[in-house]
Amino acid sequence: MSPARLIDRTRSVLDHAIEVYRYTPHGTRLAATRDRLDQPLRVAVAGRVKAGKSTLLNALVGERLAPTDAGECTRIVTWYQDGHTYRVRARVGREERQLRFDREDGQLNINLDGLRAEDVDELRVTWPAQALRSVTLVDTPGIGSLSESAARRTWDLLVPDEEETPADAVLYLMRHLHVGDVEFLRAFHDSEVSQPSPVNAIGVLSRADEIAVGRLDSMASARRVATRLGEDPDVRRLVQSVVPVAGLLAETAVTLTEEEVGQLRRIADLPPRDAEELLLSADRFVGTRPELGLTEPERASLLARFGVFGVRLASTVLRRKVAGTATDLARELAERSGLNQLQDLLSSLFFERRDVLKCRSALLAVADVVRDFAGPGSEALAGEVEAVVSSAHPFNELRVLSGLRAGWVSGKAEVVAELERLIGGAGGATHQRLRLPPDADRGELTTAAADALSRWQRRAENPLTSYELAVAAQVAVRSCEGMLADLTEHRDVRTRH
Amino acid sequence: MTKAGTAPAAARAVDVVNVGLRACAAFDRPDLAARLTETKRRLADPVIHVVVAGEFKQGKSSLVNALVGAQVCPVDDDAATAVPTFVRHGEQPRAELWRGDNGTGDQREAIELADVRRHVVETPIGDGEPRVGGVEIRIPRALLATGLVLVDTPGIGGLGSAHAAASLAAISLADAVLFVTSAAQELTRSEMEFLRRARTMCPTVACVLTKTDFYPAWRRIRDLDAAHLAAEGDIPLLTVSSALRARAVKNSDAELNAESGFPDLITLVREQVGGSAEQRLATEAAAEVVALCDHLETSFTAERAALADPAAAQRVVDELTAAKSHVERLTTAAAKWSQTLSDGIGDLTSDIDFDLRTRIKEVTAEADQAIEAGDPADTWAELGPWLQARTAEALLSNYELLRERATELSEKVGEHFREATGALLTQPTVHDPTPLAAAEVGEDLDLKKMRAVKQAVVALKSAYGGAMMFTLVGSMVGVALGPIGLGIGLVLGHRGLREEKKRQVQKRRTEARNAVRRYGDKITFVAGKDSRDTLRRVQRELRDHYTALAEELNRSNARALTAAGEAAQRTKADREKRLKNVDAELARISQLRQRAEAVAGS
Repeated sequence: MSPARLIDRTRSVLDHAIEVYRYTPHGTRLAATRDRLDQPLRVAVAGRVKAGKSTLLNALVGERLAPTDAGECTRIVTWYQDGHTYRVRARVGREERQLRFDREDGQLNINLDGLRAEDVDELRVTWPAQALRSVTLVDTPGIGSLSESAARRTWDLLVPDEEETPADAVLYLMRHLHVGDVEFLRAFHDSEVSQPSPVNAIGVLSRADEIAVGRLDSMASARRVATRLGEDPDVRRLVQSVVPVAGLLAETAVTLTEEEVGQLRRIADLPPRDAEELLLSADRFVGTRPELGLTEPERASLLARFGVFGVRLASTVLRRKVAGTATDLARELAERSGLNQLQDLLSSLFFERRDVLKCRSALLAVADVVRDFAGPGSEALAGEVEAVVSSAHPFNELRVLSGLRAGWVSGKAEVVAELERLIGGAGGATHQRLRLPPDADRGELTTAAADALSRWQRRAENPLTSYELAVAAQVAVRSCEGMLADLTEHRDVRTRH
Repeated sequence: MTKAGTAPAAARAVDVVNVGLRACAAFDRPDLAARLTETKRRLADPVIHVVVAGEFKQGKSSLVNALVGAQVCPVDDDAATAVPTFVRHGEQPRAELWRGDNGTGDQREAIELADVRRHVVETPIGDGEPRVGGVEIRIPRALLATGLVLVDTPGIGGLGSAHAAASLAAISLADAVLFVTSAAQELTRSEMEFLRRARTMCPTVACVLTKTDFYPAWRRIRDLDAAHLAAEGDIPLLTVSSALRARAVKNSDAELNAESGFPDLITLVREQVGGSAEQRLATEAAAEVVALCDHLETSFTAERAALADPAAAQRVVDELTAAKSHVERLTTAAAKWSQTLSDGIGDLTSDIDFDLRTRIKEVTAEADQAIEAGDPADTWAELGPWLQARTAEALLSNYELLRERATELSEKVGEHFREATGALLTQPTVHDPTPLAAAEVGEDLDLKKMRAVKQAVVALKSAYGGAMMFTLVGSMVGVALGPIGLGIGLVLGHRGLREEKKRQVQKRRTEARNAVRRYGDKITFVAGKDSRDTLRRVQRELRDHYTALAEELNRSNARALTAAGEAAQRTKADREKRLKNVDAELARISQLRQRAEAVAGS
């Protein structure tokens, strides 16, 4: 399908742009943009202060790299990227400096070596980790922070004044929809290439266990809230989807130790009533029932790792024998924390759309340079960017998607829903577009795609269809044709073998 | 100053007022009794508004429920409180709601307690009925019996939101604020800014840290918050767990109740919040009694002067006769205070209107800039709330100006009234047998000044109808910006995309600018009428108040005149006997005055 071609076209636009701006300072920036095209997708984790950004980042990496704390904690924009060696570097202005670090209880500690946090522009942590192969994660200070400069850093990263955004996509953590959130997201979008679109943002209802203040059905409650938020028209315009994640539980699930499971078992062995009394409050858990055989520091560290909800849930899971071993428990907790669902969503909405998102960022960068620094040849370059942007099918899909999300394209609810799926709104894979199970065979897929094609052709040509829907229908037709072409191509490949 | 007695201020105030009422009966002054009766009613049924404010989902409703030990305010994992809920004392549990924005009592309707949730919790789409302005729930509770009204409010949604402005406007008329923040995180910048502004508008502010059962690190958060608060001055910080309290109430578990932190909060509410409001009411009552004493003394002092020295009697009568025309003039529109009032209100109305127009113009200009800077198609959904928030902020500032200037005006009118009457009441001081009245003059003036300032607040409160204090700015939140035609959103697959986009954007900008202008006009119209009406009510309130005072004076003066006239005609023996009586009365009155001043000074 076209993304492959799109990336080639984008590359050639970039090559041309580098040529045009060769003897200017922008040449270097454009070269960096071209390099970035081949690097892993950059996903920023953003949101208000104490939304649980660092905790979620750790859960996604599977290691406790980002420092977390009850008080406000992340003060420096920090990049976590894959590499061959373990390394931490700080950028101060134009200067880069190597920093020392150590690990204690699995927690990474970075020694700022006399640097003041407010002087450091960004930290780059290079860490060989499986999870970082396909994605570079960016931890940001919260918005709405009491220290002004920490908040401004997030804005600088996501909404720079004259550059393309350094992140290709963003995970936006929200605790409850807050006016600050909407303003923030709006600023993240830029309208020059591919219109503002909910294509590169996923909403995460973070600290989901807090929504029902730690009741055992907290996650069910959180899912209801997330669904409602995800259906809100204003939210739909801004983020693709909203999923609930209990960040702390997720982080602990992926870093769970045997020792912790042993401690939890002692609680699980209590009679249910006693366990309930014990877990009534954090203070009670730390301070009562000395016969439990857990020391106060042990209990406090359990709370710090699991939270009240986590201890309640994990001990219940153990008592009900839903999970027996530490591995089982880790899997169960990861599932219940919502982490797995988020990872699925990340891969279908971001990773599979990697090329489109990358090209979007790159073209945005070229458009920025062309707009702000006109020179010989820049006009032609602008034309090239526009040609790619206006004709590339993936961008058309994105544009229709944002049109749908913004409510410009309207029609019967089920028609709009089908349209959204066909153009990849729920994920770019063919089965997702056709709303078939992942194991659907090629025959089923082909039939469904052909059906959709004729249905949407009819809609596109029907004079009663509104103009916007007809335009969108043409895009859907292209999407169907693309799927059919892919399916046939695969068959050809296979018959040839 | 007298030391505070053992009895609470309110009880002593009631005693003093009762003595005053008996004095009114004894000296046949039913006109003065009317005011005291009203004071007594206020003392018996005080209304102390405690606004519970804070960000979304911090546990405000749970806190109110835990305070009264019953599920009165609906609590939901998802939906937040959308309308202010007033929880007050009542023998029978019942609930009422009022619709619309200006909430003038007549639109109240009784609802089932079970239906409160449906009306209070935010609903996605309006069902065509007029917006619910507020809900009042009455339940029998000892805590509330002292007149405490707990007001559960919608979350403020960040400073600079329309709701924040509405909450602040409400706070300006409240007696105390409980600012709720959860132990999930330390106070944020916008929370601190809100607290800072709340403090300038309401003298009593306390911060409550909730959900201490759920957050293991709540002590850290408490210390961090305490440090933030310390920078702002003296704001008490309490830590509570509504969940533990609810369980403690259910199981009558005293230990758990102590753990929940609520006993301290209840003490604070009862003593500091309730106590200071009670003291204020008592002082107000005392001021009324002192005023009564002034009136009663006038005639007795005059009579005494005439009795003590028959040669001077004619002079006293002459003076009082001269004063009579003076006092009569006070009741007419030609009086200086009356002119000050009507001129003042006129000026104020035009100043407030000008201020409002200027502010709305500024907001419109800012909105125009924002529209020019972006594509309304992208920004329209955000521009709406932004515009509402900026407008609410402008209205709040406009209201603050109104409040400040109305208070000033009220003081000035009071000043002019006092200037005119002070001379009148102290005039027949040919000789004063009771020197303590003069000795207490400083305090007396303070009390009088307090009466004038209080009058402005009373006027404003009654202009906004007490419980409806949310609607002032809140009603504006409901004014919709209105949709704009976004034009064709989709252009695909051909060159010239950029030009076509530009054309569309221009069209959308024009539409957006027009919509903003319409919105501004509507706001200016509605808010302008609102503040004009408010000022008219303030004017009426102040005019009625001072006219009544002038009439009382008139009557007191007439009494004095009669008494002095009669005194001159008495026989010597009769005169001496009467003199004794009069001195005894004066002593009694001065005793009453002393008691009243003790209440005020405690």
